[in-house]
Amino acid sequence: MAGFGVANERLRALEELEREIGASLQSAGSVILELSKEKPAERHLERQAAQFGAAVAKVEAELSAQIRYLTQVATGQPHEGSSYAARKSCQLALNRLDYARRRLAELARACELMLE
Amino acid sequence: IEDETQVSRATQGEQDNYEMHVRAANIVRAGESLMKLVSDLKQFLILNDFPSVNEAINQRNQQLRSLQEECDKKLIALRDEISIDLYELEEEYYSSSYSLCDSNDLPLCEAYWRQDFATLSPESLSMPLAAATAEPSVAPSQSSTPSHPHVNGHGAGPAEHS
Repeated sequence: MAGFGVANERLRALEELEREIGASLQSAGSVILELSKEKPAERHLERQAAQFGAAVAKVEAELSAQIRYLTQVATGQPHEGSSYAARKSCQLALNRLDYARRRLAELARACELMLE
Repeated sequence: IEDETQVSRATQGEQDNYEMHVRAANIVRAGESLMKLVSDLKQFLILNDFPSVNEAINQRNQQLRSLQEECDKKLIALRDEISIDLYELEEEYYSSSYSLCDSNDLPLCEAYWRQDFATLSPESLSMPLAAATAEPSVAPSQSSTPSHPHVNGHGAGPAEHS
């Protein structure tokens, strides 16, 4: 499952990015809310602002890495690979098994009828 | 406001309010644009990340091939077991009096299919019976030489039960 694992890892990283963007928006919203007060608490303000900055920096770094990787591997052409042949062979093998099972069931039924 | 003569407090307050609205809207729009970018990246990754797509296809092919080999292996084992049982049944049948008491002297498979056709459809009896009556001398020769490879019936008999 290495192929699935690597692809899933990158997709999970992108999902983490989305959460990070949401967190940065949350921090920005709390900063603006604090600023709108009559007497804003400076420590809370600075903490939220630092969080916003850190989230934005993390988003930028991760996005740059993902885009750099994609520029290296992407060709612009559609992928023409397929697992159709193997799937067809497997399906035929399962059909063979099913046919054998049905014939054996018929044979068993015939034997039971004869015994009765 | 430090200098009261420039702008009134209310105006300054309104200006600050409007500025905060605009900046908040800009932040939200930028965040939404980033989310769209991430969504496009996900889509691009799924479609154009050739190394992982190749690996995924290879693994899927491997899984399907191993499943197919397992199915075929089980079928072959089943075939071998059935051929052994059939050999024993034929031996028993041809060494017993049942194969000799019937005037038609049918092979084991023909006797089975005759019984089967009799229970299924009367009109289809004519073909196997005609074929069976055309081969009356096959069975005795078969009893002396138990043909283990003839797992689907006897080679000298009718080819297929169609």
